[in-house]
Amino acid sequence: MTGEAITTTGLGRAFGDRHAVRDLHLQVPTGQVMGLLGPNGAGKTTTIRMLTTLLAPTSGSARVAGLDVRRYPARARGHIGYVPQEKGVRHLLTGRESAEIEADLHHIPRRDRDRRVTEVLDLLGLLPDADRLVSEYSGGLQRRLDLACGLLHRPDVLILDEPTLGLDVPSRRQVWEHVRQLRDGGGTVLLATNYLDEADALCDRVTILDRGREVVTGTPAELKRKVGADVVVVRTRQPDRLGRALTGLPWVRQVKVVDADVSVFVGDAPSALAAIMAAARRHDVAVLRATYERPTLDDVFVHFTGHAAAGVP
Amino acid sequence: MTGAARAARLGPWAQELRALLRRWYLQLVRERAHLVLTLCQPAFWLVFFGLGVGRLVDRATVGTDDYTAFILPGVIGSTVIGSAISGAVPLLWDKETGYLHKLLSMPIHRGSILLSRLLFQVAVTGVQVAFILLVAVVLGVRVATGFAGLLLVSLVAALLTVALTAAFLALAHHGPGHNTFFTVSGFAALPLLLASNAFVPLAAMPRWMAAVARLNPLTYANEASRQLVLGGWHPRLVGYLAGLSLFAAACVAAAYLAFRKQAGGAS
Repeated sequence: MTGEAITTTGLGRAFGDRHAVRDLHLQVPTGQVMGLLGPNGAGKTTTIRMLTTLLAPTSGSARVAGLDVRRYPARARGHIGYVPQEKGVRHLLTGRESAEIEADLHHIPRRDRDRRVTEVLDLLGLLPDADRLVSEYSGGLQRRLDLACGLLHRPDVLILDEPTLGLDVPSRRQVWEHVRQLRDGGGTVLLATNYLDEADALCDRVTILDRGREVVTGTPAELKRKVGADVVVVRTRQPDRLGRALTGLPWVRQVKVVDADVSVFVGDAPSALAAIMAAARRHDVAVLRATYERPTLDDVFVHFTGHAAAGVP
Repeated sequence: MTGAARAARLGPWAQELRALLRRWYLQLVRERAHLVLTLCQPAFWLVFFGLGVGRLVDRATVGTDDYTAFILPGVIGSTVIGSAISGAVPLLWDKETGYLHKLLSMPIHRGSILLSRLLFQVAVTGVQVAFILLVAVVLGVRVATGFAGLLLVSLVAALLTVALTAAFLALAHHGPGHNTFFTVSGFAALPLLLASNAFVPLAAMPRWMAAVARLNPLTYANEASRQLVLGGWHPRLVGYLAGLSLFAAACVAAAYLAFRKQAGGAS
């Protein structure tokens, strides 16, 4: 398949007066990892529920593998591998049994089933644990089993909802490694996350959602360039006073205040740092800490939404 | 449609049903204690309630010397109620843990989850009823209509299981959460059982209570089974069975509609 694995046109979902998602134009090109980034409540899960046909859109349309999700929900579901953020109850099944049952539910022909189950379990490094009960699995193992099950029917697009939520660092890295392998193998992935470092590490393109709306879309590198070269973060007890003092200075591109941190977007951080310190002294602002960094997606997020992303691992 | 085309269409459907049934089966048999207690509990009713309370009961009121035989349909009914409630619990957990979303995102028919739960619960109730009947026979209950009658008693239990399980599945699926489910099901179980003729014949009830009992589907299941166990073959049985079948069909249809609505679209 070439072109777009997922396309949405003005997609929206309202719950009464509340618009969980509105006017979303999303494109997931085949063979890419697309990140859907935003804090809890930004509309990521609602978007995914519409794409997986669990929730009917109230406006606009969505196509998965060229199939309109409202007109052909059952066929569209056949092209999706969905890994929800919740862990399912299958504690009394072994990993292999879970995968076999999900293979049957995806109508994988019986003569291919056992081979395919072994293949995906092997791919995710689960064969040594395949015949243990899932209740004995660690969080990381369970997550890898979820990923394995999502791949069983060779879906055109894999939809991952917060794939590393609640995992420890090694398990997280392991899941990342598997998503990278998928991407390198030509797989298409839509990944919803509120971890900016995760999107930075895995995604070819990112759409930032905030309060149900698309804020900006681009490659992580493009988005960082848009924010500016460097950012100096100053922690102080008088963030607003410092923010006001710096706003409008010719070498300052933008100032954002989030809690006790003042983020100053500048062209060159080392020279700006001295000027910021001087400005702080002039305005009698006590600086607790000052650091500077190259832009990250966190900065991109703050830049485009005016507030911090909620999720920090 | 040719036979081959029909088989090609039925193939995936049979495969998904088998897979769902396998999941329910493995989850049940791996909870040994739950399984054993589920099977044994109804026998306690027969032995302790039947033999104990039976000594207090006036023959003229219940119309037979054999109170154990009299309450046999009631014990089956109470088992069916318990079975129907526990039959909805796996769906409730799937919903609360989010696995139901995953199931619904798969290319399966929306009705398969409902149908597989109903089939599975009928099978579970079947085993329970067989065990109850065995205990009853050991306790000396003689069934007026013989082995064929026992099969029909099982059919009555199956129809009631389908109806009540469908109703509790709809509650599990549509309700706000497990607190509501267990409160409502726990509350419903007792009046469903006691406001029926399970332990007391309609004729012996105060008139208002009999009127309430006549609105209770369990009453008709009990009447049918009691006719088979104590009375004998009678044309009335056709009416009871037809009525129960209609009631079961209505419950399943309502549950299916509730499922489709919540699932957000046609399959």
